[in-house]
Amino acid sequence: MAAVPSSDKSARLAGLLSRIALGDQTAFGEFYEATSPHLYGVALRILRDPPAAEEILQEAYVNVWHHAGSYEVAKSQPLTWLTTIVRNRCLDQLRRRELDTVTLTADDDDAPAYDLPSDTMTPAEMLLAGAEARSVRDCVDALDAGPKQAIALAFYQGMSHSELARHLREPLGTVKSWVRRGLEKLKSCLDRAGYARNE
Amino acid sequence: MNLSRPDRLPRLDALAAEYVLGTLPSRARMRLARIARTDTVVAGAIRTWEQRLALLTEAVPPITPSPRLWRVIALRLGLEPVRPAAAGPWWSRLAFWRGFALASFTAALALGVTMLTQAPERADQPIVVVLAGPDAKPALLATMSRGDRLLTVKTVGGAPVPPDKSLELWMLPDGSPPRSLGVIPATGVGRLMLPALPDVALARVPALAVSLEQAGGSRTGAPQGPVLYTGAVQRMY
Repeated sequence: MAAVPSSDKSARLAGLLSRIALGDQTAFGEFYEATSPHLYGVALRILRDPPAAEEILQEAYVNVWHHAGSYEVAKSQPLTWLTTIVRNRCLDQLRRRELDTVTLTADDDDAPAYDLPSDTMTPAEMLLAGAEARSVRDCVDALDAGPKQAIALAFYQGMSHSELARHLREPLGTVKSWVRRGLEKLKSCLDRAGYARNE
Repeated sequence: MNLSRPDRLPRLDALAAEYVLGTLPSRARMRLARIARTDTVVAGAIRTWEQRLALLTEAVPPITPSPRLWRVIALRLGLEPVRPAAAGPWWSRLAFWRGFALASFTAALALGVTMLTQAPERADQPIVVVLAGPDAKPALLATMSRGDRLLTVKTVGGAPVPPDKSLELWMLPDGSPPRSLGVIPATGVGRLMLPALPDVALARVPALAVSLEQAGGSRTGAPQGPVLYTGAVQRMY
Protein backbone atom coordinates (compact mmCIF):
# COMPACT_ATOMS: atom_id res chain seq x y z
CA MET A 1 0.00 0.00 0.00
CA ALA A 2 1.47 3.28 -1.04
CA ALA A 3 0.12 5.51 1.66
CA VAL A 4 0.64 3.82 4.99
CA PRO A 5 4.22 3.93 6.13
CA SER A 6 5.32 0.52 7.29
CA SER A 7 6.76 0.57 10.76
CA ASP A 8 9.03 -1.66 12.78
CA LYS A 9 6.03 -2.82 14.75
CA SER A 10 4.20 -3.94 11.60
CA ALA A 11 7.26 -5.77 10.37
CA ARG A 12 7.58 -7.52 13.72
CA LEU A 13 3.90 -8.52 13.74
CA ALA A 14 4.10 -9.78 10.16
CA GLY A 15 7.13 -11.86 11.17
CA LEU A 16 5.23 -13.30 14.12
CA LEU A 17 2.29 -14.14 11.84
CA SER A 18 4.49 -16.15 9.51
CA ARG A 19 5.84 -18.09 12.51
CA ILE A 20 2.28 -18.63 13.80
CA ALA A 21 1.37 -20.07 10.39
CA LEU A 22 3.98 -22.76 11.12
CA GLY A 23 2.39 -23.53 14.50
CA ASP A 24 4.85 -21.56 16.67
CA GLN A 25 3.10 -21.15 20.04
CA THR A 26 5.66 -18.71 21.43
CA ALA A 27 5.10 -16.42 18.45
CA PHE A 28 1.36 -16.69 19.03
CA GLY A 29 1.80 -15.66 22.68
CA GLU A 30 3.96 -12.69 21.69
CA PHE A 31 1.48 -11.67 19.00
CA TYR A 32 -1.31 -11.79 21.57
CA GLU A 33 0.69 -9.70 24.04
CA ALA A 34 1.48 -7.11 21.39
CA THR A 35 -2.00 -6.76 19.91
CA SER A 36 -4.68 -7.67 22.47
CA PRO A 37 -4.68 -4.39 24.50
CA HIS A 38 -5.28 -2.40 21.30
CA LEU A 39 -7.99 -4.75 20.02
CA TYR A 40 -9.66 -4.94 23.44
CA GLY A 41 -9.62 -1.16 23.66
CA VAL A 42 -11.38 -0.94 20.30
CA ALA A 43 -13.89 -3.71 21.09
CA LEU A 44 -14.77 -2.61 24.62
CA ARG A 45 -15.43 0.98 23.55
CA ILE A 46 -17.91 -0.23 20.96
CA LEU A 47 -19.62 -3.00 22.94
CA ARG A 48 -19.31 -1.69 26.55
CA ASP A 49 -19.66 -5.28 27.68
CA PRO A 50 -16.45 -7.04 28.81
CA PRO A 51 -17.66 -10.66 28.32
CA ALA A 52 -18.96 -9.82 24.83
CA ALA A 53 -15.74 -8.00 23.90
CA GLU A 54 -13.66 -10.89 25.22
CA GLU A 55 -15.71 -13.33 23.17
CA ILE A 56 -15.08 -11.37 19.97
CA LEU A 57 -11.33 -11.32 20.71
CA GLN A 58 -11.42 -15.02 21.52
CA GLU A 59 -12.84 -15.78 18.07
CA ALA A 60 -10.41 -13.39 16.41
CA TYR A 61 -7.34 -15.05 17.96
CA VAL A 62 -8.62 -18.56 17.29
CA ASN A 63 -8.88 -17.44 13.66
CA VAL A 64 -5.39 -15.93 13.74
CA TRP A 65 -4.01 -19.26 14.95
CA HIS A 66 -5.77 -21.17 12.17
CA HIS A 67 -5.44 -18.66 9.35
CA ALA A 68 -2.21 -16.78 9.99
CA GLY A 69 -0.97 -18.22 6.70
CA SER A 70 -3.67 -16.47 4.70
CA TYR A 71 -2.68 -13.00 5.89
CA GLU A 72 -1.29 -11.04 2.94
CA VAL A 73 1.47 -8.64 3.84
CA ALA A 74 0.93 -6.66 0.65
CA LYS A 75 -2.70 -5.83 1.35
CA SER A 76 -2.62 -4.31 4.82
CA GLN A 77 -0.64 -4.05 8.00
CA PRO A 78 -1.28 -6.83 10.52
CA LEU A 79 -2.85 -4.66 13.19
CA THR A 80 -5.04 -2.85 10.65
CA TRP A 81 -6.15 -6.18 9.26
CA LEU A 82 -7.06 -7.53 12.70
CA THR A 83 -8.64 -4.30 13.92
CA THR A 84 -10.92 -4.24 10.88
CA ILE A 85 -12.05 -7.80 11.60
CA VAL A 86 -12.68 -7.08 15.28
CA ARG A 87 -14.52 -3.80 14.62
CA ASN A 88 -16.74 -5.51 12.05
CA ARG A 89 -17.68 -8.32 14.43
CA CYS A 90 -18.40 -5.84 17.23
CA LEU A 91 -20.61 -3.74 14.97
CA ASP A 92 -22.42 -6.83 13.67
CA GLN A 93 -23.19 -7.80 17.23
CA LEU A 94 -24.15 -4.33 18.37
CA ARG A 95 -26.52 -3.74 15.46
CA ARG A 96 -28.01 -7.23 15.84
CA ARG A 97 -28.54 -6.58 19.56
CA GLU A 98 -30.52 -3.46 18.71
CA LEU A 99 -32.65 -5.47 16.33
CA ASP A 100 -33.36 -8.03 19.07
CA THR A 101 -34.22 -5.52 21.76
CA VAL A 102 -36.05 -2.95 19.71
CA THR A 103 -39.47 -4.07 20.93
CA LEU A 104 -38.42 -4.77 24.49
CA THR A 105 -36.84 -1.62 25.80
CA ALA A 106 -39.66 0.79 26.45
CA ASP A 107 -37.64 2.56 29.12
CA ASP A 108 -34.26 2.54 27.44
CA ASP A 109 -31.95 5.20 28.73
CA ASP A 110 -28.57 6.36 27.63
CA ALA A 111 -26.70 4.71 30.48
CA PRO A 112 -24.14 2.30 29.08
CA ALA A 113 -24.04 -1.17 30.61
CA TYR A 114 -20.39 -0.73 31.47
CA ASP A 115 -18.34 2.29 32.37
CA LEU A 116 -15.09 2.59 30.48
CA PRO A 117 -11.98 3.71 32.25
CA SER A 118 -12.21 7.45 31.83
CA ASP A 119 -10.34 8.33 28.70
CA THR A 120 -8.04 11.28 28.63
CA MET A 121 -9.18 11.90 25.07
CA THR A 122 -12.67 12.47 23.73
CA PRO A 123 -13.69 10.55 20.59
CA ALA A 124 -13.19 13.72 18.54
CA GLU A 125 -9.67 14.06 19.92
CA MET A 126 -8.96 10.40 19.14
CA LEU A 127 -10.02 11.11 15.60
CA LEU A 128 -7.36 13.78 15.29
CA ALA A 129 -4.67 11.98 17.25
CA GLY A 130 -5.29 8.82 15.25
CA ALA A 131 -4.57 10.50 11.98
CA GLU A 132 -0.84 10.18 12.25
CA ALA A 133 0.09 11.37 8.84
CA ARG A 134 -0.22 15.08 8.37
CA SER A 135 -2.60 15.13 5.41
CA VAL A 136 -5.05 12.78 7.17
CA ARG A 137 -5.01 15.03 10.19
CA ASP A 138 -5.66 17.99 7.95
CA CYS A 139 -8.66 16.23 6.38
CA VAL A 140 -10.17 15.38 9.76
CA ASP A 141 -9.46 18.86 11.03
CA ALA A 142 -11.22 20.36 8.03
CA LEU A 143 -14.55 18.78 9.04
CA ASP A 144 -17.12 21.01 10.73
CA ALA A 145 -17.61 20.46 14.46
CA GLY A 146 -20.95 18.64 14.13
CA PRO A 147 -19.94 16.10 11.47
CA LYS A 148 -16.58 15.59 13.18
CA GLN A 149 -18.19 14.72 16.49
CA ALA A 150 -20.86 12.51 14.91
CA ILE A 151 -18.28 10.53 12.93
CA ALA A 152 -16.00 10.16 15.95
CA LEU A 153 -18.82 8.87 18.20
CA ALA A 154 -20.02 6.45 15.54
CA PHE A 155 -16.51 5.20 14.75
CA TYR A 156 -15.18 4.75 18.28
CA GLN A 157 -18.33 4.00 20.26
CA GLY A 158 -20.48 2.30 17.65
CA MET A 159 -23.34 4.78 18.01
CA SER A 160 -26.24 4.40 15.57
CA HIS A 161 -27.95 7.36 13.93
CA SER A 162 -30.64 7.49 16.63
CA GLU A 163 -28.09 7.22 19.45
CA LEU A 164 -26.12 10.05 17.87
CA ALA A 165 -29.27 12.16 17.67
CA ARG A 166 -30.04 11.53 21.35
CA HIS A 167 -26.46 12.04 22.47
CA LEU A 168 -25.90 15.22 20.48
CA ARG A 169 -29.46 16.49 21.11
CA GLU A 170 -30.05 17.12 17.42
CA PRO A 171 -32.84 15.99 15.08
CA LEU A 172 -32.26 12.60 13.45
CA GLY A 173 -32.23 14.16 9.98
CA THR A 174 -29.50 16.61 10.96
CA VAL A 175 -27.31 13.88 12.38
CA LYS A 176 -27.80 11.65 9.34
CA SER A 177 -26.77 14.43 6.99
CA TRP A 178 -23.75 15.32 9.20
CA VAL A 179 -22.56 11.73 8.91
CA ARG A 180 -23.19 11.55 5.18
CA ARG A 181 -21.63 14.91 4.35
CA GLY A 182 -18.74 14.34 6.75
CA LEU A 183 -17.87 11.03 5.12
CA GLU A 184 -18.10 12.53 1.62
CA LYS A 185 -15.83 15.37 2.58
CA LEU A 186 -13.37 13.06 4.29
CA LYS A 187 -13.33 10.85 1.23
CA SER A 188 -12.60 13.56 -1.31
CA CYS A 189 -9.95 15.09 0.93
CA LEU A 190 -8.23 11.77 1.67
CA ASP A 191 -8.37 10.66 -1.96
CA ARG A 192 -6.83 13.96 -3.04
CA ALA A 193 -4.06 13.30 -0.55
CA GLY A 194 -3.62 9.81 -2.06
CA TYR A 195 -4.71 7.88 1.02
CA ALA A 196 -6.78 5.11 -0.46
CA ARG A 197 -6.77 3.53 -3.83
CA ASN A 198 -9.45 1.50 -5.49
CA GLU A 199 -8.04 -1.91 -6.19
CA MET B 1 -31.03 -4.35 -6.52
CA ASN B 2 -27.78 -4.46 -8.41
CA LEU B 3 -25.51 -2.11 -6.50
CA SER B 4 -22.53 -2.51 -8.78
CA ARG B 5 -24.27 -0.94 -11.80
CA PRO B 6 -22.28 2.15 -12.79
CA ASP B 7 -25.20 4.57 -12.24
CA ARG B 8 -25.58 3.29 -8.69
CA LEU B 9 -21.94 3.69 -7.65
CA PRO B 10 -22.51 6.87 -5.60
CA ARG B 11 -25.25 5.02 -3.67
CA LEU B 12 -22.93 2.03 -3.18
CA ASP B 13 -20.14 4.27 -1.96
CA ALA B 14 -22.42 5.93 0.60
CA LEU B 15 -23.61 2.52 1.86
CA ALA B 16 -20.04 1.18 2.07
CA ALA B 17 -18.95 4.27 4.01
CA GLU B 18 -21.70 3.90 6.61
CA TYR B 19 -21.08 0.15 6.77
CA VAL B 20 -17.45 0.73 7.71
CA LEU B 21 -18.27 3.63 10.02
CA GLY B 22 -20.87 1.39 11.67
CA THR B 23 -24.02 3.48 11.29
CA LEU B 24 -25.78 1.20 8.81
CA PRO B 25 -28.83 -0.35 10.55
CA SER B 26 -28.78 -4.09 11.19
CA ARG B 27 -30.77 -5.39 8.23
CA ALA B 28 -29.03 -3.16 5.69
CA ARG B 29 -25.69 -4.10 7.28
CA MET B 30 -26.33 -7.82 6.96
CA ARG B 31 -27.64 -7.42 3.42
CA LEU B 32 -24.59 -5.47 2.25
CA ALA B 33 -22.22 -7.98 3.87
CA ARG B 34 -24.06 -10.81 2.12
CA ILE B 35 -23.83 -9.11 -1.28
CA ALA B 36 -20.12 -8.35 -0.73
CA ARG B 37 -19.39 -12.06 -0.39
CA THR B 38 -20.10 -12.59 -4.08
CA ASP B 39 -19.93 -9.13 -5.66
CA THR B 40 -16.35 -7.91 -6.03
CA VAL B 41 -17.38 -4.33 -6.81
CA VAL B 42 -19.30 -4.11 -3.53
CA ALA B 43 -16.48 -5.85 -1.63
CA GLY B 44 -13.99 -3.42 -3.17
CA ALA B 45 -16.03 -0.38 -2.12
CA ILE B 46 -16.06 -1.66 1.47
CA ARG B 47 -12.32 -2.44 1.45
CA THR B 48 -11.48 1.01 0.15
CA TRP B 49 -13.42 2.60 3.01
CA GLU B 50 -11.76 0.26 5.49
CA GLN B 51 -8.40 1.52 4.28
CA ARG B 52 -9.51 5.13 4.47
CA LEU B 53 -10.68 4.84 8.06
CA ALA B 54 -8.08 2.35 9.29
CA LEU B 55 -5.64 5.03 10.39
CA LEU B 56 -8.24 6.42 12.76
CA THR B 57 -8.06 3.42 15.11
CA GLU B 58 -4.42 4.10 15.96
CA ALA B 59 -5.07 6.48 18.82
CA VAL B 60 -7.61 4.36 20.69
CA PRO B 61 -6.21 4.00 24.22
CA PRO B 62 -5.35 0.34 24.82
CA ILE B 63 -7.07 -1.68 27.56
CA THR B 64 -5.42 -4.90 28.72
CA PRO B 65 -7.95 -7.74 28.74
CA SER B 66 -8.31 -10.04 31.74
CA PRO B 67 -5.70 -12.88 31.88
CA ARG B 68 -8.68 -15.21 31.66
CA LEU B 69 -9.01 -14.38 27.95
CA TRP B 70 -5.61 -15.82 27.04
CA ARG B 71 -6.26 -18.89 29.18
CA VAL B 72 -9.53 -19.58 27.33
CA ILE B 73 -7.91 -19.09 23.92
CA ALA B 74 -5.00 -21.39 24.82
CA LEU B 75 -7.43 -23.95 26.23
CA ARG B 76 -9.61 -23.91 23.10
CA LEU B 77 -6.64 -24.41 20.84
CA GLY B 78 -5.05 -27.06 23.02
CA LEU B 79 -1.98 -24.89 23.74
CA GLU B 80 0.02 -24.68 26.92
CA PRO B 81 -1.92 -22.05 28.90
CA VAL B 82 1.05 -19.96 30.00
CA ARG B 83 1.46 -16.46 28.67
CA PRO B 84 5.07 -16.42 27.47
CA ALA B 85 5.80 -12.71 27.50
CA ALA B 86 4.30 -12.20 30.95
CA ALA B 87 6.28 -15.02 32.51
CA GLY B 88 9.68 -13.36 32.52
CA PRO B 89 12.92 -14.43 30.88
CA TRP B 90 13.10 -17.84 29.33
CA TRP B 91 15.47 -19.34 31.88
CA SER B 92 13.00 -18.64 34.66
CA ARG B 93 10.45 -20.66 32.80
CA LEU B 94 12.09 -24.07 32.94
CA ALA B 95 9.01 -25.44 34.63
CA PHE B 96 6.95 -24.20 31.72
CA TRP B 97 9.13 -25.99 29.20
CA ARG B 98 9.20 -29.15 31.26
CA GLY B 99 5.43 -29.15 31.50
CA PHE B 100 5.17 -28.34 27.86
CA ALA B 101 7.46 -31.19 26.82
CA LEU B 102 5.45 -33.62 28.90
CA ALA B 103 2.18 -32.34 27.49
CA SER B 104 3.43 -32.61 23.91
CA PHE B 105 4.69 -36.11 24.58
CA THR B 106 1.34 -37.21 25.97
CA ALA B 107 -0.52 -35.53 23.17
CA ALA B 108 1.75 -37.12 20.57
CA LEU B 109 1.09 -40.54 22.09
CA ALA B 110 -2.64 -39.95 22.00
CA LEU B 111 -2.62 -38.61 18.48
CA GLY B 112 -0.27 -41.24 17.19
CA VAL B 113 0.63 -40.99 13.59
CA THR B 114 -2.38 -38.85 12.64
CA MET B 115 -0.53 -35.76 13.85
CA LEU B 116 2.03 -36.22 11.11
CA THR B 117 -0.47 -36.60 8.33
CA GLN B 118 -2.89 -33.88 9.40
CA ALA B 119 -2.65 -30.97 7.03
CA PRO B 120 -2.55 -27.67 8.94
CA GLU B 121 -5.03 -25.94 6.65
CA ARG B 122 -7.65 -28.42 7.76
CA ALA B 123 -7.49 -27.22 11.35
CA ASP B 124 -10.77 -25.39 10.99
CA GLN B 125 -12.47 -28.09 8.99
CA PRO B 126 -15.93 -28.31 10.55
CA ILE B 127 -17.26 -31.45 12.17
CA VAL B 128 -21.03 -31.51 12.43
CA VAL B 129 -23.03 -34.01 14.46
CA VAL B 130 -26.77 -34.04 13.84
CA LEU B 131 -28.70 -35.19 16.90
CA ALA B 132 -32.20 -36.52 16.27
CA GLY B 133 -34.94 -38.33 18.16
CA PRO B 134 -36.74 -41.56 17.18
CA ASP B 135 -38.65 -39.63 14.48
CA ALA B 136 -35.27 -38.93 12.77
CA LYS B 137 -36.02 -35.18 12.64
CA PRO B 138 -32.94 -33.13 13.56
CA ALA B 139 -33.29 -31.57 17.02
CA LEU B 140 -29.78 -30.25 17.67
CA LEU B 141 -26.61 -29.59 15.73
CA ALA B 142 -23.27 -29.97 17.47
CA THR B 143 -20.48 -28.22 15.57
CA MET B 144 -16.72 -28.33 16.13
CA SER B 145 -13.54 -27.55 14.27
CA ARG B 146 -10.59 -29.92 14.29
CA GLY B 147 -8.20 -27.40 15.83
CA ASP B 148 -10.59 -26.03 18.44
CA ARG B 149 -11.89 -27.50 21.70
CA LEU B 150 -15.01 -25.37 21.58
CA LEU B 151 -18.21 -27.24 20.77
CA THR B 152 -21.26 -25.24 19.70
CA VAL B 153 -24.76 -26.71 20.02
CA LYS B 154 -27.71 -25.20 18.26
CA THR B 155 -31.36 -26.10 18.71
CA VAL B 156 -33.04 -26.72 15.36
CA GLY B 157 -36.11 -28.65 16.47
CA GLY B 158 -37.14 -31.13 19.12
CA ALA B 159 -39.68 -30.96 21.93
CA PRO B 160 -39.84 -28.02 24.36
CA VAL B 161 -37.95 -28.61 27.61
CA PRO B 162 -40.07 -28.41 30.81
CA PRO B 163 -38.88 -25.54 33.06
CA ASP B 164 -37.79 -27.90 35.86
CA LYS B 165 -35.60 -29.97 33.51
CA SER B 166 -32.28 -29.52 31.67
CA LEU B 167 -30.77 -31.03 28.56
CA GLU B 168 -27.36 -32.64 29.04
CA LEU B 169 -24.95 -33.59 26.26
CA TRP B 170 -22.97 -36.83 26.51
CA MET B 171 -20.18 -38.55 24.65
CA LEU B 172 -20.89 -42.27 24.19
CA PRO B 173 -17.42 -43.85 24.04
CA ASP B 174 -16.86 -47.37 22.72
CA GLY B 175 -16.87 -49.81 25.60
CA SER B 176 -17.06 -47.31 28.47
CA PRO B 177 -19.83 -45.37 30.20
CA PRO B 178 -21.22 -42.06 28.86
CA ARG B 179 -19.19 -39.01 29.70
CA SER B 180 -20.92 -35.67 30.27
CA LEU B 181 -19.95 -32.65 28.20
CA GLY B 182 -22.28 -30.44 30.20
CA VAL B 183 -25.73 -28.92 30.29
CA ILE B 184 -26.92 -27.19 27.13
CA PRO B 185 -29.55 -24.48 26.82
CA ALA B 186 -33.13 -25.52 26.08
CA THR B 187 -33.21 -23.29 23.01
CA GLY B 188 -30.77 -21.27 20.94
CA VAL B 189 -27.02 -21.68 20.96
CA GLY B 190 -24.77 -23.12 23.66
CA ARG B 191 -21.00 -23.43 23.93
CA LEU B 192 -19.13 -26.23 25.71
CA MET B 193 -15.48 -27.13 25.98
CA LEU B 194 -14.38 -30.61 24.90
CA PRO B 195 -11.89 -32.36 27.23
CA ALA B 196 -9.31 -32.23 24.39
CA LEU B 197 -9.13 -31.25 20.72
CA PRO B 198 -11.81 -33.13 18.71
CA ASP B 199 -9.37 -35.56 17.09
CA VAL B 200 -8.37 -36.76 20.56
CA ALA B 201 -11.61 -36.29 22.48
CA LEU B 202 -13.74 -38.08 19.87
CA ALA B 203 -11.20 -40.68 18.73
CA ARG B 204 -13.16 -43.51 20.34
CA VAL B 205 -16.55 -41.83 20.49
CA PRO B 206 -18.89 -43.09 17.77
CA ALA B 207 -21.87 -41.05 18.99
CA LEU B 208 -23.16 -38.15 21.06
CA ALA B 209 -26.46 -38.16 22.96
CA VAL B 210 -28.73 -35.73 24.78
CA SER B 211 -30.67 -36.78 27.86
CA LEU B 212 -33.41 -35.03 29.81
CA GLU B 213 -32.16 -34.42 33.36
CA GLN B 214 -33.24 -32.58 36.47
CA ALA B 215 -32.52 -28.85 36.33
CA GLY B 216 -28.77 -28.27 36.31
CA GLY B 217 -27.97 -31.73 34.98
CA SER B 218 -27.32 -35.19 36.39
CA ARG B 219 -25.83 -35.21 39.89
CA THR B 220 -24.31 -38.67 39.54
CA GLY B 221 -22.07 -38.28 36.51
CA ALA B 222 -24.24 -40.73 34.59
CA PRO B 223 -27.43 -40.01 32.65
CA GLN B 224 -30.48 -40.41 34.91
CA GLY B 225 -33.25 -39.32 32.57
CA PRO B 226 -34.40 -40.59 29.18
CA VAL B 227 -32.15 -40.18 26.13
CA LEU B 228 -34.00 -37.84 23.77
CA TYR B 229 -31.60 -37.46 20.85
CA THR B 230 -28.55 -39.22 19.48
CA GLY B 231 -26.20 -38.52 16.60
CA ALA B 232 -23.32 -40.36 14.98
CA VAL B 233 -19.86 -38.79 14.96
CA GLN B 234 -18.58 -39.04 11.40
CA ARG B 235 -15.12 -40.54 11.22
CA MET B 236 -12.79 -37.68 10.44
CA TYR B 237 -10.16 -39.58 8.54
